[in-house]
Amino acid sequence: METTKTLINYTHRQAGHCESGATSNLFKHNGLELSEPMAFGIGNGLYFSYIPFLKIQFAPMISFRNLPNTVFKRSAAYLGIDATVVKKIKEPKEAMEMLDRNLEMGIPTGCQVGVFQLTFFPPEYRMHYNMHNLVVFGKEGNMYHVSDTVMEHPQLITYDDLLRVRYAKGAFAPQGKMYWINHAIDKPIDLKPAIILGIKKTVNEMIGIPFPLVGVKGLRWMARDLKKWPKKHGNDKTSFYLGQILRMAEDFGTGGAGFRYIYGAFLKEAGELFDHHQELLEASDMMGKTANKWREFTYIGARNCKNRSKPEEDYGTLSEKLLEIAAGEEKVYQKLKKIKF
Amino acid sequence: MEENPNPVYKDKAYGQYRELSYSYGDAGQFEKTVGFHGEADRVILQQAWDLFKERIEDARQRVLSGKVSPVVFYMEKNLLDPLNLSMMAGISVWRVKWHFKPGVFKRLSEKTLKKYADAFNITIEQLKKIE
Repeated sequence: METTKTLINYTHRQAGHCESGATSNLFKHNGLELSEPMAFGIGNGLYFSYIPFLKIQFAPMISFRNLPNTVFKRSAAYLGIDATVVKKIKEPKEAMEMLDRNLEMGIPTGCQVGVFQLTFFPPEYRMHYNMHNLVVFGKEGNMYHVSDTVMEHPQLITYDDLLRVRYAKGAFAPQGKMYWINHAIDKPIDLKPAIILGIKKTVNEMIGIPFPLVGVKGLRWMARDLKKWPKKHGNDKTSFYLGQILRMAEDFGTGGAGFRYIYGAFLKEAGELFDHHQELLEASDMMGKTANKWREFTYIGARNCKNRSKPEEDYGTLSEKLLEIAAGEEKVYQKLKKIKF
Repeated sequence: MEENPNPVYKDKAYGQYRELSYSYGDAGQFEKTVGFHGEADRVILQQAWDLFKERIEDARQRVLSGKVSPVVFYMEKNLLDPLNLSMMAGISVWRVKWHFKPGVFKRLSEKTLKKYADAFNITIEQLKKIE
């Protein structure tokens, strides 16, 4: 069997968040210098939702990120870049053929995948999480070259494995979703309008939606629930639920608390772009401080998880810490809402 | 799923993977650092895997003593709950729970067994007995 080889000259850069990293790398490949925080901020990566009645891995579902593909779709739309998103492909074989055609034309293509059966992923991290993103940029015989921004280096994956992860089932199933940028970007693009749109949308999603489980309101709801858990479920289960919050906040799907840092970095970059816009820079500083509080919360929480039945800290204190974080975040969004550009 | 779907927690594995993380310094600068996972990460991951292993072992005992069907064992092994399993296999939750009974499981048709086997990524023979 002859082996065909197509390898696109694509630069892999490690990033803190799978999708904004992929987006930023794809834009850079097509000639637009867009840093990861910038992609994250413009594409509304920041989000929070708490869904207590839906269980993932035996604990309530908590999401620190937006729905899959929002970052790429929105940043492309706001920047006015011609991009294609294929939401759903029914036939797995056809999806793989489409991918092959793209590779032959020299287009690196992003795919949504499930983590559970991703072969190159550390085994500890393989949980049922279907919102991961990677970019396929080459094919060699039966092997695909993929750039997963969570990993330090590009990885190899076989045809069958790639097909399986692209058709992972369960909540938020990828269904073969893929996306790419159609043309190289040759004209200079003004980032400013896109930044304004991005900030407005994020602010609206975090404080503007009149639904109690989303955004800052959701964070408060979770904090109040956290206080009730020990009475309701006992110490062991509470500890596991808290662990779930922390897993979501710290590493599962890379980040959560980390996203707050990325957003802060975005605000700082944006502030510098708008001729050292004082208010944006202040907001960035506040965001950074809130993110530090998140990290503190994780450390305290992890200590609690270590001694399961005898928690070191009262869950009431943790809950108050979360409420404090929620208040801090709300201040940032209120500030951003008032800014006139 | 032949290659260890039920991974044992090894400290060594963390040594191989570095991830990028952001941090915020006192001077107001955001920094990117590439490093290994911290203590907090290990604790919470360990906690999750402890629980999963406990559940898998418990399910194994119940299957061996004939209280439940092997579907339960494979469900736990793949870190699923009945709802997620029903989504993956394309069988309604009620039927999935009904199939937990060993007597019912024995009478299942090849077609249904195939659905479960595909969801767990194993063969039908493997599904019928647990190792």
